[in-house]
Amino acid sequence: MMSCHSVRPLLPARAEELTPLEARMRAEHVAACSRCAAEAAAYSRLGQALAVMAHLEAEPAGGTLERILVVIGRRRTRVTDPRVLAAAGSAGALVATVVVARVLRQRRHAQTAPTAAPWSRRLRLPGVPIPAAALARAK
Amino acid sequence: MEVDRELVEAAQAGDRWALEELVRRTHRSVYTCALRLVGNPDDAADVTQDVYLRVVRKLGGFRHEASFATWLNRVTTNVAMSTLKRRTRRFAVEVAAVPADTRDPAPEPAERAESVALARRLEQLVARLPEGQRQVLVLRDVYGQSTDEVADAMGLTSGAVKVRLFRARERLKAELEAAEGGQVVALVGRRRATGRRS
Repeated sequence: MMSCHSVRPLLPARAEELTPLEARMRAEHVAACSRCAAEAAAYSRLGQALAVMAHLEAEPAGGTLERILVVIGRRRTRVTDPRVLAAAGSAGALVATVVVARVLRQRRHAQTAPTAAPWSRRLRLPGVPIPAAALARAK
Repeated sequence: MEVDRELVEAAQAGDRWALEELVRRTHRSVYTCALRLVGNPDDAADVTQDVYLRVVRKLGGFRHEASFATWLNRVTTNVAMSTLKRRTRRFAVEVAAVPADTRDPAPEPAERAESVALARRLEQLVARLPEGQRQVLVLRDVYGQSTDEVADAMGLTSGAVKVRLFRARERLKAELEAAEGGQVVALVGRRRATGRRS
């Protein structure tokens, strides 16, 4: 059997904090040693008393609750107010439109800028008749 | 702290009244936990506010796998630990404050009054423990978190948590016995002997 000195570090522990071997050694020692049994029981009771503390509540300083309610109200308004969401959506759509328009314009510009090709080669719309004067100039 | 599932679900669905009611019902408990961990009423009030800001952000992801009280307790622990990390960088740790006027929100039948009175006395002794020991003891023995959860929240190994727990319990028991001459432990023992559990 373990000595009292060896088992002492195991006495304050809860059962689930011990390995099966430690739990067995403690149980064997406590069964045979009344002094360590009393110590283990005292720790167990202390644990029960500490658990009761979880049900006690301190009162925060005046105004704490009101401050929290104001702060979370602001945060929620910022995120979920339909008016805020609508405004954000409109702004996003506007930005997207501007960006797409600029990209298209740049692309079109990039296609046309390098070669000063005749407009008849640039503009090939099927079914659209080419004016005779322009055709003659091109030839 | 008792919170109906319906109330939590209503708050999750965006019911503003439900969220405010949730705060009203739980803020004392959150503040008390924060005060026990950070040991300072001003920081505890700040932690409480930050907890609810985080709750607003994360409530949608709460899946009711644990109770709301357990979830809220974990959020409080994480916010309190973050606050402490910032605070210890700023200035030295102060002496912990004792929750000045703890009350039992449940009615106190006679058999419960004894253990509540003892718990109030224990509160004073716990507040005087060194900060590291106090925090592991509060999280493990008061709020029932596992040693792994405590280790995770505090950035410690499980072994380090067990060492601190051992020292905290040993010291607390010694101080309790010195203060009460062993009477307190006997009181709780009597409650246990009658088969009542708190």
